[in-house]
Amino acid sequence: MIEAKHIEKSFFLNQAKEGRFASLRTLFSRERREVKAVHDISFSIDRGEFVGYIGPNGAGKSTTIKMLAGILHPSQGEIRIGGYSPQRERIQVASQIGVVFGQRTQLWWDLPVRDSFEILQAMYKIDDKAYRRSMEVYQELLDLHEFLDTPVRKLSLGQRMRADLAAALLHDPPVLFLDEPTIGLDVVAKTRIRAFLKDVNQTQKKTILLTTHDMDDIEQLCNRIIVINHGKKMMDTSLADLRRQIGLPSLIRIEFRQPPEKLYDLEGIERMELSENVLSIYFDKGKISSPRILAEVAGWGEPLDIQMKEPGIEEIIRLIYR
Amino acid sequence: MVYWRIIRKSYRRNLQYRLSHVVNNVASSIFGLVFIAIWTGVLSGKQVYGPYDVKTMGYYIAICQSVLWMTTFLSPGLNVQIAVRSGAVSLDMIKPVHYLWYMLSQEFGRLLYNACYRSVPIGLLLGLAVGFFFPSDPFTYFWFILSLLLGTYIGMLLFYLAGISSFWTTEIRWVHLILLSLIFGLGGQMIPIDLMPGMIGKIAPYLPFSAMIYYPVMTLLELAPPYGMLVQAGWALVLTVVALLVTTMARRKLEIQGG
Amino acid sequence: MFPLYRKLIAASIRSQMQYKINFVTSAATTGMIMVLDFIILSAILYRFHDVVGWNIYEVGMLYGISSASVSLYRLFAPEINDFEKYIVQGELDQLLIRPVSPLLLLLTRNLDLSRVGGLVQGVSVLVISLSGLAAEGQSIMGLMLFSPVAILSGGVIYFSIGLATAGVAFWTHQMKDMLTFTIYAPANASNYPIGLYPSWLKWLFFSAIPIAYMNYLPMLTLLGKGSEWFYPILTPVAAASAFYFARMLWNVGVRHYHSTGS
Repeated sequence: MIEAKHIEKSFFLNQAKEGRFASLRTLFSRERREVKAVHDISFSIDRGEFVGYIGPNGAGKSTTIKMLAGILHPSQGEIRIGGYSPQRERIQVASQIGVVFGQRTQLWWDLPVRDSFEILQAMYKIDDKAYRRSMEVYQELLDLHEFLDTPVRKLSLGQRMRADLAAALLHDPPVLFLDEPTIGLDVVAKTRIRAFLKDVNQTQKKTILLTTHDMDDIEQLCNRIIVINHGKKMMDTSLADLRRQIGLPSLIRIEFRQPPEKLYDLEGIERMELSENVLSIYFDKGKISSPRILAEVAGWGEPLDIQMKEPGIEEIIRLIYR
Repeated sequence: MVYWRIIRKSYRRNLQYRLSHVVNNVASSIFGLVFIAIWTGVLSGKQVYGPYDVKTMGYYIAICQSVLWMTTFLSPGLNVQIAVRSGAVSLDMIKPVHYLWYMLSQEFGRLLYNACYRSVPIGLLLGLAVGFFFPSDPFTYFWFILSLLLGTYIGMLLFYLAGISSFWTTEIRWVHLILLSLIFGLGGQMIPIDLMPGMIGKIAPYLPFSAMIYYPVMTLLELAPPYGMLVQAGWALVLTVVALLVTTMARRKLEIQGG
Repeated sequence: MFPLYRKLIAASIRSQMQYKINFVTSAATTGMIMVLDFIILSAILYRFHDVVGWNIYEVGMLYGISSASVSLYRLFAPEINDFEKYIVQGELDQLLIRPVSPLLLLLTRNLDLSRVGGLVQGVSVLVISLSGLAAEGQSIMGLMLFSPVAILSGGVIYFSIGLATAGVAFWTHQMKDMLTFTIYAPANASNYPIGLYPSWLKWLFFSAIPIAYMNYLPMLTLLGKGSEWFYPILTPVAAASAFYFARMLWNVGVRHYHSTGS
């Protein structure tokens, strides 16, 4: 469904000058520095896959998505979306894909959500029957009726994201690109968006490529992960494999009034460290839940303070390098 | 001195945008050249009204374009409305400096920048087209600077009043546009106000708008009537009182309603 | 394509109508500000009778056409005039993921209805000037028939200049200051006979910033100032070719954006 072959993207930055008349000299200077934002990346994604595309800030995630969506053209290499090249057949590709940028909306700011949808209907030439069917499905899944007649500028961030997702799916594209769709949302809204994405992926067999900084997004949604750093592909593997290779330990840190006398081993706990009266438990969230652990540990002593930590993207990159 | 430091910082901040200002200076000079060409066309072969022959009118327009950057092209509302909308104004109001002088010094720094990088280059460029005027009496320079500063001060106060009106209205865009067209229409930017016909020509010299453009230019040309600076000083005084009063009212509104 | 365009226009009108009072006051204010602008011009001509042989009604013809044309452009293409934000803030990305040309999307994104005030002012000045000319005993039939052509062509010419400026902004990433140079100053200049200006400016107004074809050139013929009969025909021709070149430049700019991003 999505095919990227040895794609590269380099930008030329003007070498900034320093000292007197720096800005003028920069403007007229021919010295340019080549920066490779994306360097020889290849992957192939089949229909119905849910792929997490992760990496630290500035790793080239957005650049890749922009190339896949036809906004940027690769300096080298080939991209195919459903058989079309975004570089040469932008219009055809546009109707194959739905795109959501978490940071900004694609809806008309001053108009009720419904109006935006109607414009999109005309823009993508969706016939009335298909439009009604889509609306029914997404109204149900996203509870759009709550705010269908509210101007976009008055929506909460979570509502806006729901509307944006529906807008991206309205023309029933086989492929979805999501750039940080859960950024800035509260836990309830995140859970809701994730449930929706999971459903869309499983029942409609949409192919989804997602970038995120939230490890929960990855764990709960993606069956495959592509890690990039400095514009290069570091790893392309299933979530299970990633876990096997580097482990994805969650961490609970408990401070006791007195150091517990005995530590019991539990299924799913990978490692425990005790220093003075602080106990650190590294565990696999897939095998044991944190409430289970807490219930268990409460019997070991009197807990004063409890902290939980999820591994971040940076942590994972560090673990891959290790 | 705190106000001087604000002025200097604000000057520095503007220094970053030099390049775009080069484009703007050229454009502004072209405006000047267009006006000069129009007046040359209007005046050639006509009987001279008052002091305005082709040469003097050329000087007038050139100095005018240069003075505009000091007295008229200020930040809309002195950006008071932006602070009001974002709520930052309540922070500014509790600073241990008076809000009016705080906003004015910030703007004045920007204007010093304009003087160096807008007024001077535009004046030089247009001077190349119409020739340079040097007053015969060296004291004229002193009077000119004084008149210019008065004009700048009056301009800042008018813009400040437009900006602070945002305490009571939602947006100042239209207030600003109306103020700007009054200044352009009645300040003497395109036409020296003593050439205006009828009632307008009689009233305009006593309005604050002419204090911003007409009087400074005429002072440098040694053509200003003796009461010119009195008009300027009078308006400076009146507007200061009004601005202080309105600031107090705004502060009270903030204290009562929380903005 | 047509239903989409209709829907987009309707939507942008609806979103402006949310601020109904604002629309009325803003259109009225725009019109009033521009009336003040015209008063200055009349003041000059009242005092001095004519500019290089053009009397107030003749200059009024130039002014009315230019004023109505520029208002037409600002009414229909506010997003072109404000294009800088699309490049600087990367909003153009949103337009490039649609199966429609980004130019069409931009044109339908917004209407600046307050410019209706300027259009009314321009047309009023034209009406006053035409009746003044009629009172002087001139035949105004040709002028009346030509005025709509001139306003439409002028609108297209201003639009083309705006579009070309936006095209250049793909490289310079800045447009506001350039517009002073390419639109605002020329619009001001075209209120008066182009013959006034120094030759390099005149040359500019006949070539890269082709505002002379909108009012000055055809008025030479139609006001009987001893010129070639075919000048009025050049008006729509110039508009069409200006649009052609501007679109070319714009397309090159979009391609540049594809290869560099913001």
